[in-house]
Amino acid sequence: MSDSNSDSNSEPSFFTKHEFAIRRLHSLTGIVPLGLYMCVHLTTNASLLGSVEIFQRAVFLIHSPGPLLPLIEWGGIFLPLLFHAGLGIWIAKTGRSNSSQYQFTSNKRYTWQRWTGFIALVYLFLHVMHLHGGIHAEGWMNAIYKVGFGQFSPYNAGSSLVDAMNLGYGIIWPAIYLVGVLACVYHFINGLWTAGITWGLWISPQAQARATKVCVALGVVLTVISLAAWAGAVFPSKDDVAKMRAIEDRMYEAGVVSGTVLENEHKRDLRGRAAAEESVDASDGEQASTGTTEPAS
Amino acid sequence: MIALDPAANRPQFINVRVKRQDGPGQEPYWQLFKIDYEPELNVISVLQRIAALSKTSDGKKVTPVVWDCGCLEEVCGACTMQINGRVRQSCSALVDQLLKDNADEIVLEPMSKFPVLRDLMVDRRRLFKALEKVKAWVPVDSYYNMGPGERQLRATQEQNYPLSQCMSCGCCVDACPQYNKIELERKKDETEEEFKKREEKAWDKAFVGPHAISQAMLFNNHPTGKSIAGERLDALTAPGGIQACGNAQNCVAVCPKEIPLTTSIARAGRATTIHTIKKWFEK
Ligand code: HEM
Ligand code: HEM
Ligand code: SF4
Ligand code: SF4
Ligand code: FES
Repeated sequence: MSDSNSDSNSEPSFFTKHEFAIRRLHSLTGIVPLGLYMCVHLTTNASLLGSVEIFQRAVFLIHSPGPLLPLIEWGGIFLPLLFHAGLGIWIAKTGRSNSSQYQFTSNKRYTWQRWTGFIALVYLFLHVMHLHGGIHAEGWMNAIYKVGFGQFSPYNAGSSLVDAMNLGYGIIWPAIYLVGVLACVYHFINGLWTAGITWGLWISPQAQARATKVCVALGVVLTVISLAAWAGAVFPSKDDVAKMRAIEDRMYEAGVVSGTVLENEHKRDLRGRAAAEESVDASDGEQASTGTTEPAS
Repeated sequence: MIALDPAANRPQFINVRVKRQDGPGQEPYWQLFKIDYEPELNVISVLQRIAALSKTSDGKKVTPVVWDCGCLEEVCGACTMQINGRVRQSCSALVDQLLKDNADEIVLEPMSKFPVLRDLMVDRRRLFKALEKVKAWVPVDSYYNMGPGERQLRATQEQNYPLSQCMSCGCCVDACPQYNKIELERKKDETEEEFKKREEKAWDKAFVGPHAISQAMLFNNHPTGKSIAGERLDALTAPGGIQACGNAQNCVAVCPKEIPLTTSIARAGRATTIHTIKKWFEK
């Protein structure tokens, strides 16, 4: 080995030289910020099952940094996600799964970690485009809104989310979300376990067995939360949407008056706003705000 | 054992399917052999019968199947191959046991991660080179009398003994999805020396493998061996180091010596992280 350093013709690349540190960063980003964000995010979304108000309050809170929000989103979520995903694909390509030859549980988990990472990539791209739109530029948002993307209006959080889920016969998006969210949960929980090996947190087989129990328990809890988030977005009917929108509009207006919500008409639902304007003219506000949907029988 | 086996249940013949290859880089092909059943055979004795026969099941005369072995008691690792799709030692693979799992045939293939020299014989030099990379030894140069060694705590001994049983067989790396086969061909204008160097460079960049990680932990936990602990951790964080492990844990599942490789990998994961952070602040 001592003579092999005489080779100077091909310097290893920056990536090769620092692969250890970069892979540690990959593992770290999987837990914070991404894993942590996912837990908070899913819990927030699950709160819609509680009530429209709780969810809307949470979204007002998330949106309270106002113009700083894109910075937080990009620095805290999108960039780490792009890094983790890009490197994740590369890592997945460095291995050759052999779980059909060696059918050990941990080997299947290894293979699934790669598959769920891949599913997460596709899902998160669709998901962010579907609701968030990626960048807040108005022209862009209006353009993608027409093709069914960028559907989420933070100041009409619950109603626009439910509406967005109903696009495409009300089955396509719920199906994508169900697969996507479960894949993400598996990927995070299994990743948490393997990260314990990566960082040497659980060393002895006994400690590893305990870690398995903790991770399974966490996984069960997170699965329930994620299904609640899914149900909260999928189950409400069209009638419910109208009622939700009325509540959200009331909260927005009161929030602006009291100064707890930053005034921003762009963050309201276009349809909701149209309905709200109508309701000013019409004598029966209740009737007008349900104008876009079938009146309740 | 024989008494327990009802004679009627014993097969007359044993079918053995062997993946053969005439030389490095050549196309592998399959041959089926049929030998008379005898009780208490192991795969080595099956291969001896096949060599004596040198005839396939349909009577074609063929060259004897080539394989390697040494100790015949599962301590040298030379006889490692894939038996019914699972990598293991052929000397300790008992035929009666194999037939219980699959009565139709026994399938023998060379290890999948090393270049085949011929038939079931492979070139495992990369495995040993990895041990050199992580300096899997106790550094004593015998210039000075270093006096009696430090006493080892019983707990340390108990931790180290299982790791010291590694026989460098390569089962762990053969089953590892992150350990990929490297097979280079000597170029026309290349000397033997140059080729060897190119080979070693390729090995050096690729994953060292769980056995080497475990041995590094063994010697880092040794009273004298730990004097170069930092160098071993440097090797484990260099290209091809521990970061290439993807936590599939096949290594620990197939190791014939039941070495707690995942424990070694986790321990190395902790040690390399701390080592790297320390080094970064000391720069
Ligand atoms: C978007 C696409 C994604 C891809 C392609 C991807 C891919 C991967 C791959 C291949 C690994 C295995 C790394 C290794 O064995 O060293 C991994 C690990 C991990 N991922 Fe992801 N991932 C993605 C998204 C996510 C998300 C959204 C989260 C968090 C919720 C996450 C959390 C983790 C964690 C915690 C690990 C474990 C790291 C370790 O074992 O040290 N990943 N990812
Ligand atoms: C049923 C499950 C889910 C629902 C109902 C849901 C809902 C939402 C909503 C309403 C938004 C828009 C936020 C905004 O534009 O301000 C959003 C954005 C986002 N979601 Fe989800 N989500 C779900 C699952 C997930 C999962 C599993 C992940 C994985 C980590 C994820 C990652 C993201 C990201 C990265 C964004 C954009 C970032 C941001 O808004 O700052 N979501 N989601
Ligand atoms: S760790 Fe086990 S499988 Fe790997 S070389 Fe050593 S004895 Fe063989
Ligand atoms: S745990 Fe690491 S070294 Fe062991 S088989 Fe899996 S990837 Fe290979
Ligand atoms: S011949 Fe030595 S291990 Fe089988």
